[in-house]
Amino acid sequence: MTTQKKAISLSVNGISYEASIEPRMTLADLLRGELVLTGTHVGCEHGVCGACTVLLDGRAVRACLMLAVQADGASLTTVEGLETDGELHPIQQAFIEEHGLQCGFCTPGFLLTVHELLENSPDPSDDEVRDALGGQICRCTGYQAILRSVRLAATRLRDAQAAASSQGS
Amino acid sequence: MSVEIPKTLEDFPNSSPRFVGRGVDRVEDPHLVTGRTEFIDNVVLPGMLHAAILRSPVAHARITGIDVSEAEKLPGVFAIVTGEDAKRWSFPPPTAPEEWGTHCMATDKVRYVGEPVAAVAAVDRYVAEDAIELIAVDYEPLEVVADPAKAMEPGSPLVIEEKGTNVMLQRVFNWGEVDEAFRDADRVFTEKFRWNRLGANPLETFGVIAQWDPVAGSLTLRASVQSATHFGLGRAAVFGLPSNKVRVIGHPHGGSFGGKGGTRGTDVTALLTRKAGGRPVKWIEDRAEYLTGGGSQSWDRHYEVSLAVKDDGRVTGLDVKLLDDMGATGECFGAINTVKPLAAFTGPYTIPVARYDLTIVATNKLPQSPYRGMGPPPHFCALEQMMDIAARDLEIDPAEMRRKNFIPKDAFPYTIASGNEYDSGDYEAVLDGALELSDYPELRERQARARAEGRCVGIGVVSAIEPGVFDWNAYAIVGVQGIGVPEGATVSIDILGKISIRVGFALEGQGQYTLATQLVADYFNVGFEDITVVPLDTFSAPPAFGPGGSRLGVALTGAVLGACEKLRAKLVRVAAGLFQMDPEQVDLVDGNLVAKGVPGVEMSMPQVVGTMLARSDLLPPDIDPRPEATYVWTAAGRTEADEEGRAKSYLTAAQAVHVVMVEVDPETGLVEILEYCVVDDCGTRLNPATVEGQTEGSIAQGIGAALLEEYVYDDQGQILTSSYMDYLLPTINEVPATKKGIVVTPSPFTPLGAKGCGEGAMHTTPAAILSAINDALVPLGARATEVPASPNRLWNLIRGAKERTAGE
Repeated sequence: MTTQKKAISLSVNGISYEASIEPRMTLADLLRGELVLTGTHVGCEHGVCGACTVLLDGRAVRACLMLAVQADGASLTTVEGLETDGELHPIQQAFIEEHGLQCGFCTPGFLLTVHELLENSPDPSDDEVRDALGGQICRCTGYQAILRSVRLAATRLRDAQAAASSQGS
Repeated sequence: MSVEIPKTLEDFPNSSPRFVGRGVDRVEDPHLVTGRTEFIDNVVLPGMLHAAILRSPVAHARITGIDVSEAEKLPGVFAIVTGEDAKRWSFPPPTAPEEWGTHCMATDKVRYVGEPVAAVAAVDRYVAEDAIELIAVDYEPLEVVADPAKAMEPGSPLVIEEKGTNVMLQRVFNWGEVDEAFRDADRVFTEKFRWNRLGANPLETFGVIAQWDPVAGSLTLRASVQSATHFGLGRAAVFGLPSNKVRVIGHPHGGSFGGKGGTRGTDVTALLTRKAGGRPVKWIEDRAEYLTGGGSQSWDRHYEVSLAVKDDGRVTGLDVKLLDDMGATGECFGAINTVKPLAAFTGPYTIPVARYDLTIVATNKLPQSPYRGMGPPPHFCALEQMMDIAARDLEIDPAEMRRKNFIPKDAFPYTIASGNEYDSGDYEAVLDGALELSDYPELRERQARARAEGRCVGIGVVSAIEPGVFDWNAYAIVGVQGIGVPEGATVSIDILGKISIRVGFALEGQGQYTLATQLVADYFNVGFEDITVVPLDTFSAPPAFGPGGSRLGVALTGAVLGACEKLRAKLVRVAAGLFQMDPEQVDLVDGNLVAKGVPGVEMSMPQVVGTMLARSDLLPPDIDPRPEATYVWTAAGRTEADEEGRAKSYLTAAQAVHVVMVEVDPETGLVEILEYCVVDDCGTRLNPATVEGQTEGSIAQGIGAALLEEYVYDDQGQILTSSYMDYLLPTINEVPATKKGIVVTPSPFTPLGAKGCGEGAMHTTPAAILSAINDALVPLGARATEVPASPNRLWNLIRGAKERTAGE
């Protein structure tokens, strides 16, 4: 039942990888097993819970539903790619400060989905946030602290943006 | 040596505590937000194989043949096990009630859809899954029993033939003169309720890596397990191993809520590693396995409840008849769910007498597991509906109906009819707080306006108790033995004054490592950066149970502070020896050892510790030279259950009032939550931010229970909800923002006065939402008595009521 392996190359968090894999391997298994990027968690394996969400060329995708071969040539960001030199990303920091996580298993998927949202909409309304996060399930927090985390992260990112542009001008 | 555990923060040897009682950031979070926490599926051992389990597609059938020959030929397959291996190497597990278990893989017949039939260990999961596809099983269908009432009838198919019946337990408990109370009542109200199966669904499924040592005859289990000690003892019983031959290494886990399960899968995986000659074998439960064959399902209940009431609104008697469909076996201790209500049977009320007519029945469904709340939530949901039914008939406001029956604040400690003792509370203050926070009169006006517009808007005002700090004695009537649940901690200081806290439970999500850190930091006046929490395995940890039964916050506080006290006493003795003084003349103050009343005579902790580590010649001769101490906390004063199951069981009783406003769309049956207010009293809040998180999370699970979540089986025992497309979890769009208020009556029985709060609003939310729905339905003449109150159910109810009205 095994089939001929296929060579792929992709970039994850700025590092280039080459892998020889079976076409049936999921992107989640490639990231977790082959590339040992175990911060991407698998919660339901059928695309409902969103825990495995990663960014593929900047867009949020479910790593459990994609085949790894479909990511050939793509540039991915996983939770491991959010930090810069050990400094937490403002979204990560906001989730800590607003207690936007409890067990933390769903958190990487939330962080990346929020990352995509705030890239596209730096000052989202609560309805926009709810809409963006409607496909992410958290069983611990009841979402209220996540909502607070997103608000804080958005404010921080906007402030940083404003500070950077005022310095630049 | 008796240990005085601080009762308040003022008892700490620290003039300016900075952490306890504050919503500090959690020490767990930096690892979690960067994806670095070592969940079990991240772990890879040399030579590790991967398991896949073949499960029964039918609910009841005899196995007439299993052919594994094709699977054996598949390259990459190392071991295959079936029921024959289970019979050879294992026993049925401990159960509640006792002796209602079967082997971890079907040996002669299958008893539910999802039961393990065979399993494979292979080089990777893909090959293992390929291999189980190649196993051929012949099933001879047997008549299925998927209905608990039918399961009790004579001639019903038997789930476990050897038992001669499907009735696992049938008993009537009478607490006081119940018949007399109902005879003397002015009014008696009776209603039936149905609570459908639902369950925990942590985002991480269960996972284990098992490794058999053929030489030592020992088993090592790395697992995402809630209580490692308990789990290990169970596995020792299953494999007939001495308890010191089963080592459990707990891993952080992605939620549990009681329903992590995993015992069967672990036992199957243990058989595989043995068959594979000791190669480690990993099994990660997939979501379909969790939903159909894991620790996913709880509380499958049919209630008939009667309330005896006086015309003035006083409730004088409660009669609860429960039929609970436990599924095929008692292996997941689901029966405990049916007896925990004894810890708070009459809720927050003074109802003096009560009866519990309890029947637990086996059917061809997945065995029930624990779930957050462990059984009282459906009980309170029914009780609170009865309070509303009585209030409506007596034309008493539902809030005042509660107030009339509340246990008064000067009556604590208060022993309820079913035997447990509540520690403290001020229920009227909580109610008043909730009415004020919600602006209850204004809500009623809004409701009146909405009704005038023809809208179905309702308000629920309910109250419930959260029993906290469980004890085994609460479960005596389903055969669980013993009293006392230990929690231990070791606090250790190194030569540079850095502190380790060693505990016996893995990270779960409630912020317990943060709590331990807060306590030690304030006790020894150090910073968070000076402290590390180290979880240990069952061979090295202090005695521990871990999270469960809303206990760990309280129990861990006792353990950590007990260890701190013992360590302080040790440091004081050493310092006194060095000062050439009596220990009574020396004290720990703000992290330094000081001679009382002698300014300047003091040593820092690292100086004292350094002396202990390096200069045993200077120490008192009888002192243990290690700068560490271990303390094991258990709840004091727990009593053996009497014949009627009555015991002082759960140590604390937190209480809450929820005020909820909903609108029901009569055209679709859809419920929208318009307002949600909660005021609760769980004693001292050691970390208010994490307590708030428990409240918000348990409200969400309560909303799921009330409106969405349900495992559906057909009459052939086939499960119809095997994915998250069918089993609906609340998303961010179903959970409203809540207004929250607090009342604090510290527990007189616990360290620092905290009460168990982890299960939280699950006790109250389903009742509150159902009450609000029923208030909304009053003008239509309909009453919802089934949970979840899904759109189709409400739509049918409303349609039925309209047809009745039209027919009149």
